[in-house]
Amino acid sequence: MNFRTAAVFAGALAIAGWATTVQAQEGPLVTADWVQENLANPDVRIFEVSVDTGVYERGHIPGAINLAWHTDLVDPIRRDIVSRENFQAVLQQAGVGEDTTVVLYGDNNNWFAAWGAWVFDIHGLNDVKLLDGGRKLWEAEGLPLDTATPEYAASTIELPAEAADLRARLVDVLEVVENGADVSLVDIRGPKEFSGEIFAPEGVQELSIRAGHIPGAVNFPWGGAVNENGTFKSADELKAAFAAIGIDGSKPIITYCRIGERSSHTWFVLSRILGYEVRNYDGSWTEYGNAVGVPIDNPSGTVWGKI
Amino acid sequence: MTIPAIRFGVPALILVALAAGFIALNGGGPEGRPLAFSLAIGAAFGVVLQRSRFCFYCNFRDLIEKREAAGVIAILVALAVGAIGYTAIFGAWLPTPAPGRLPPTAHIGPVSLTLVIASFVFGLGMAISGSCLSAHFYRLAEGSVISPFAIIGAAIGFGIGFLTWNPLFLAITSNAFILWLPNSLDYAGSLAATLVLLSALALAALWWARPSQVAAPAALTLRETLSRVFVQRWPAVTGGVLIGIISTLAYFRVAPLGVTAELGSIVRTAGTAWAVLPGTLFGLDGLRGCATIIKETLLSNNGLFVIGLIGAAFITSFLAGQFKPRALTGLDVVRGLGGGLLLGWGAMTALGCTVGVLLSGIHAGSLSGWVFLLCSCLGVIGALTFARLVGLTKAS
Repeated sequence: MNFRTAAVFAGALAIAGWATTVQAQEGPLVTADWVQENLANPDVRIFEVSVDTGVYERGHIPGAINLAWHTDLVDPIRRDIVSRENFQAVLQQAGVGEDTTVVLYGDNNNWFAAWGAWVFDIHGLNDVKLLDGGRKLWEAEGLPLDTATPEYAASTIELPAEAADLRARLVDVLEVVENGADVSLVDIRGPKEFSGEIFAPEGVQELSIRAGHIPGAVNFPWGGAVNENGTFKSADELKAAFAAIGIDGSKPIITYCRIGERSSHTWFVLSRILGYEVRNYDGSWTEYGNAVGVPIDNPSGTVWGKI
Repeated sequence: MTIPAIRFGVPALILVALAAGFIALNGGGPEGRPLAFSLAIGAAFGVVLQRSRFCFYCNFRDLIEKREAAGVIAILVALAVGAIGYTAIFGAWLPTPAPGRLPPTAHIGPVSLTLVIASFVFGLGMAISGSCLSAHFYRLAEGSVISPFAIIGAAIGFGIGFLTWNPLFLAITSNAFILWLPNSLDYAGSLAATLVLLSALALAALWWARPSQVAAPAALTLRETLSRVFVQRWPAVTGGVLIGIISTLAYFRVAPLGVTAELGSIVRTAGTAWAVLPGTLFGLDGLRGCATIIKETLLSNNGLFVIGLIGAAFITSFLAGQFKPRALTGLDVVRGLGGGLLLGWGAMTALGCTVGVLLSGIHAGSLSGWVFLLCSCLGVIGALTFARLVGLTKAS
């Protein structure tokens, strides 16, 4: 094989590899196989966003960077998501450039990874992907984990000055409840929280003084969107399941839960997998249920002060 | 005990049970593997504790009263080896120990007057009951008649600790500070400071100690080798090195060593179910250390660690012919329950004991570990001095 033949052969291989990579990247999800093939790809940056702090350090996908949800992705003083400036600094330090493909994954069926995707989207990186199945599938398949913390050459990425309109505020919800705005409300908490039988799951700290749900909301517990192995159900299954409760994408949707994190998982399903127009109400039930002068629906009769 | 069927049969049965438990858990996939590892590392810890007679209280008392330094040297070696191991892991997990950052799950606890009082009380409890909680666990396997009562007393002490937690937290603990040495000294400086301090303590202990007569070692035959492994007490440094390694491996794979989390968790769950404990314990679950959360699953890492510890200690104790229960006296019950109560209250309020705060804390470079070391030693000295002054017999 002379030099020219070798070069052409190598080029063809590279193009074939590039084509495969691009094909596999389409859509909001990537498979564990794809991640394995792209572990050394400098144009791919993998982030772990897990609920349980400490699991990353004990073993993560090789090369993945840890995003601590309680420090890297929030502004705790303002009870807000991370500011543009701080998030930009995080991404620059992680070496994320304009053309980097960002993949997120995490524990608990990608719960906080989906929330991370929502934060990325708000700050203008709107094509980040989730590893389908998250940590659960990666571990179950016995794929390699690493404990070393990677460091990358810093990038100079700049985020858009304007945040994307993916958040619903209390006033937006009240537009639906009190002024009849044509928007669907999806409450993704457990049935007992939805009905007002309990105020919050056992052991949680963020509480509302009232139990129940926002009037007009439909209930779809977030765990219903995933299979036993942690992967998302197929788009057809998801479409049918939501259509059964009247959510078919024909009008805008607002998702909410207790503090707006579980609901971002459903936001991801509805907006990224099914392509519906969705905003996440991150004030959620802790804000709405505590707000003065707003109506609630409480089928269990556990009204204010009565447990 | 000399009946071979018992001496070898009981260990064989326990070994089979532990192995079956390990295999069953390990086959449980990603959720089961840490549980299996906890059982195994607990068993390893139990073997080393029992074989080397590693006991924080007894070793310290031997130094004070008998001027024997070996036990204390074992503790200091364990602290040094674990500190080196932890530093290696920290460097991989958290390359820069910048202020405000702490390595995940390490027992880097708050330092306050509460910790001072709790560790002093824990020291009193050790002196009264005859050992610390981890040693009571392995002493069950040696037929100690006090240890069962000490563990029951510790459970009651935990309950009282939960009852007094909120007032103490509001008055003192909420103002506590956390000092992680690498934040101030970087990893190299922190490890160097730790090793220098441990070396100084070792030199002081050796200066105070009086060398005892040591018989010339027997020639190393197969019989002698088996005797050294299974019957004779392991050398202090061997025990210390092994405990430092076990501590490092436990932190690397599952969690820092600790023996009280499961006990506290059971007490808290029962107390909450019976509505005798407050539903909210301020800040408890957010603090580092052997936190005691409401039980949600039957099998926990810490529970399996303790089961492994006790089971393996039974194995080695029977093989060595060291299961020697004696007749129970009323004083045993009083000492066990009373001392145990102080151990339990101290461990709950200090967020851990000699293993969780002292050992794991010093390994992690936490000031809380050093405070616990100092104050629990003062508690022991106080109790021994008091006993001598009032003419009580020495704690055994």
